Amino acid sequence: MVLFVGKRLVLFGFMLLGLLTIMFLITNVAPGDPAKLMAGQNATQDMVETIRREYGLDKSLPEQYAVYIGGVLRGDLGRSIVSTKPVVEELLRYFPATFELVLVAMGLGILIGVPFGMLSAVYRDSWIDHATRIFSVSGVALPAFWFGLLLQLYFAVHLEWLPVSGRLELITPPPEPLTRLYLIDSLLRGEFDTFREAFQHIILPALVLSFPCLASILRVNRAEMLEVLQSDYIVAARANGIPAFRIITVYALKNAMLPTLAIIGLRFGWMLGSTVLVETVFDWPGIGLYAVQSALYSDFKPVLGVTLLIGFCFIFINFLIDLAYGWLDPRLRTQ
Amino acid sequence: MKKIVMLGLAAALLSTAALPAAAFERVGDRKVIVFGGRQQVPVIDPHVRYDWSIRMMQQSLYDAMAKYNGNPAKIEPWLAQKWESSPDAKTWTFHLVKNAKFHNGDPVDAEAVRYSFERGLKLNKGVAWMLKDVLDPSGIEVVDAHTVRFNLKSSYAPFISWIPWWYIVNPKQVKANEVDGDYGQKWLTENAAGSGPFKTKRWEQNVLYELVAADDYWKGWPQGEKNRPAGIIYKIIREPAAQKAALQRGEADIVEGLTPDDYDQIKSTKGIVVQSHAGMTTFGIKFNTQTGPTKDINLRKAIAYAVDYDSFVKVYNGAAILETSPFPQGMQGHVDVPERPKQDLAKAKEYLAKSAYPNGGIELDYYHVAGLEEARRIGLVLLDNLSKLNIKVNVTPEQWPNMVAKGSKPDTAPNMTSVYVTPISTDPDAVAYQYHRNAWGQYFAMSHYDNADVNALIDKARTLGKWEERAPLYAEIQKKIVADQPEVFGMIQNRRWAHRDYLKGFAFSPVRFTGEVDLYPLWIDAK
Repeated sequence: MVLFVGKRLVLFGFMLLGLLTIMFLITNVAPGDPAKLMAGQNATQDMVETIRREYGLDKSLPEQYAVYIGGVLRGDLGRSIVSTKPVVEELLRYFPATFELVLVAMGLGILIGVPFGMLSAVYRDSWIDHATRIFSVSGVALPAFWFGLLLQLYFAVHLEWLPVSGRLELITPPPEPLTRLYLIDSLLRGEFDTFREAFQHIILPALVLSFPCLASILRVNRAEMLEVLQSDYIVAARANGIPAFRIITVYALKNAMLPTLAIIGLRFGWMLGSTVLVETVFDWPGIGLYAVQSALYSDFKPVLGVTLLIGFCFIFINFLIDLAYGWLDPRLRTQ
Repeated sequence: MKKIVMLGLAAALLSTAALPAAAFERVGDRKVIVFGGRQQVPVIDPHVRYDWSIRMMQQSLYDAMAKYNGNPAKIEPWLAQKWESSPDAKTWTFHLVKNAKFHNGDPVDAEAVRYSFERGLKLNKGVAWMLKDVLDPSGIEVVDAHTVRFNLKSSYAPFISWIPWWYIVNPKQVKANEVDGDYGQKWLTENAAGSGPFKTKRWEQNVLYELVAADDYWKGWPQGEKNRPAGIIYKIIREPAAQKAALQRGEADIVEGLTPDDYDQIKSTKGIVVQSHAGMTTFGIKFNTQTGPTKDINLRKAIAYAVDYDSFVKVYNGAAILETSPFPQGMQGHVDVPERPKQDLAKAKEYLAKSAYPNGGIELDYYHVAGLEEARRIGLVLLDNLSKLNIKVNVTPEQWPNMVAKGSKPDTAPNMTSVYVTPISTDPDAVAYQYHRNAWGQYFAMSHYDNADVNALIDKARTLGKWEERAPLYAEIQKKIVADQPEVFGMIQNRRWAHRDYLKGFAFSPVRFTGEVDLYPLWIDAK
């Protein structure tokens, strides 16, 4: 087990280095001069040079790369040319918002996707199955920004049930940070009004973000359940008179969850990367929005920082899924 | 199990029960105005950076010696109650008001003015370009506590036109927060050391910026002490649809970034007012005058005569006016140039016949900023118009940084590039200099236009002290530029905002940037 984890960690490091190197090259060969943009439209050449020197952009590409990698190893991801602040500081500021959104969206995806996947398999070709099929196809097909705008128009403007955007009402101060996840912090601090507000604000973006993920979980879970329900051990269980509910939720679901878990892992990483659109539509101050704003100004250190963070999370979660496989399938443990 | 599920569902429904219709945000008895804008405010240091949202905040937190107000924009005394210049426009003396004070109570004196200009020049960022060629820090002289003199390196009549953008910082506060001789840059990124009508309160990047009114603002409040707001919240709302929704719900009192169609649709909504004013932002299709087919002046003229100019206005649903010279109509010294091309296909063919491409048969690139729908639609108009000259147009979207990079050199500048330019002063030099040889490399000089006569006229006009002497030179400059046709002179789009009808005190001034509003006179007239 230790060897397995060790090997994975080494691979983990190489993957991140590769990711960083590729991203560094891509961002630096892309046309556009961030120093010029930040110096302003009327800036003279020497004003541009002042900024270039300040941010080390006057050095050669290999030098910049060496300085950047050295910084990353020390935990320094450089400085944003737009905000002038260290990227690490900004990631710590924005990541909790994204993480909270993804957690809630993933929660919704699992809570809705797994039971409905199960139901559509059990009641195959019934109206439930057809309804969930339509639901899941639209989940994959609907563009997030369009779906988000539709929900905003209906639930926020028309019905006035939910807020249009943001994490809290304008005048409400955020709860004192503990985890920086507003839902958790407000509960821990006993600020229930703030919790209510935070919950109302997260519903729409989380729903939009969860929709494609929910659809995948539902379809994969359905397919796996169908296969498992035809297995010999399930037939044997039925023959032994074990109640159908127990067979489905305990015996069948556990085995059907293996590929579903893989999908959940993949989707978690995918969600982190695809918060960009949802965060833009709902003005959710997370890393997706931060990356987009930075890219628009050719401010590449934050883009690299966000890529590194998402890459890290993606690889780490898949690592955890590998471990979970072992827990769900004892045969893998012995291997 | 069933009970738990039902309870959970009930709790979820209860917590999402209908929100009360948004009322005014308040602090105590006073209302807080909510401004919905698309752009963030990453830095508020007045000597480091500016754009419309940054400057809107700077204007609220700081004062300058003079301020642009009104339509047409005029320079009004602010921290300086009066000023005079020498006849050769080389020496400028400003007399400061005596009651101005910074937010911490320190007086705004001549030393603060000297320090602020020195800081701006030495940092060599943001506003420095406006004065660095004519002003050295050693040329700023404190005559007495309330008088400061600027001894310029050379005569420079437009000097006064830049003064409103040089905000005065409190030297004591800045020096107290210096780190490694950074002139307090790190601290001033999100803190203010000014004397303006507002102070910073909450600064949540990418979310909102809250300003609180300075209770004892030295200049008082134009809406009256009773009506002044408790503060302003600038909330980032990036999507036009979300801005519209926020305005309709009353979550925002004023927004700046709706689409042309949204503005037209919302202006008939009860309780909402649309402000639509001709600014000074010009739209032009810049030809590459140095390389490629558009180097040929006859081809440029042919294209300029083939264009359907009315379409430019239609793209904005009528909320635009056509340019009648290279200078926008609100600019001092503007003259109509009758020779400016209007659509005339016969003339277009005449010029084409005189060009190196008498039968057309060429392909020209037209670049526009990716995502700018109006610029794209103008590209389609061009594509249609030039097909009559047997010229094919490749309408190419490009990210702004890449477009600027391409356009900075004659060898890489596209044949035609759509560019919006906002002059930030009412002095004609601000526009004329865009056509000077020295402006090459800047985004507004993508034409790489070069005419020795025009260069000489621009150089001369900026050194003359009397307006009567300068005005004829600028008239001549405008005519010469039109004759050389370095661009298709397009239109001046209206700047638009939508606000609730209870928001009062909105005052438009064309010299402000797109989206920028003077927050100082705003107030809410409702209970």
